[in-house]
Amino acid sequence: MENKEPLSPHIQIYRWHISSLVSISHRITGIINIIAITIICFWASSLLLGENNYEAINSFLNSFIGKFIILGITWSFLFQILSEIRHLIMDLGYGFEIQTTKITGLIVIFGSIIFTVIFYLIGKNFIL
Amino acid sequence: MISATKKWIFLKISGAILIPLMLWFVLNLISIYDQQFIEVKSFFTTSLSKFLFSIFIINAYFFSALSISEVFEDYIQNDKIKNVANKLLFASAVVIPLITIILITRL
Repeated sequence: MENKEPLSPHIQIYRWHISSLVSISHRITGIINIIAITIICFWASSLLLGENNYEAINSFLNSFIGKFIILGITWSFLFQILSEIRHLIMDLGYGFEIQTTKITGLIVIFGSIIFTVIFYLIGKNFIL
Repeated sequence: MISATKKWIFLKISGAILIPLMLWFVLNLISIYDQQFIEVKSFFTTSLSKFLFSIFIINAYFFSALSISEVFEDYIQNDKIKNVANKLLFASAVVIPLITIILITRL
């Protein structure tokens, strides 16, 4: 049965704002994250196949593409975390002023990039 | 309490729980992803990692199933397709973490 209710959000009609960019990116990273977590589940399960079979996975993860994917997953996770914190603060009734939504939106966008670099450096023991 | 309110509360609680678990996992992922088999295996075989990873994937799938069903609500107009998509989504949110947890306990 076809539902006649309008679909949302009308991203083709409305002019782009920081808030709409963060909102649609939150949804996209949410879907990327669950695909990434599914791949991570397969990766963890693949350890049961033994050391010899893990060689191919290890070479892939050590390649440029492998590192790029890990960095991408890290950014996507961190974007989702910052965006979720923004949503939780908004659920408490704060940050609805237009200027504040722009600032918090920019914090989510640039903060996720900065934290990706910081987390990578911490994870690889370059700092701390 | 109507079901939409319950769904919203579950979404918010699981979202809040997911934040520290995701931070913990992403830091560990960066430090182990390019390591040898032994190091990766030792991470997944420690009791604490096993426990936190299990909670992480259960919560992540629960949260994702709830939030992706909202995306389906917004973008899929055909009710039949939407129902099938939701059923597949909730089934995979139960099956994938369950199988993964069973498998990592055998490591």
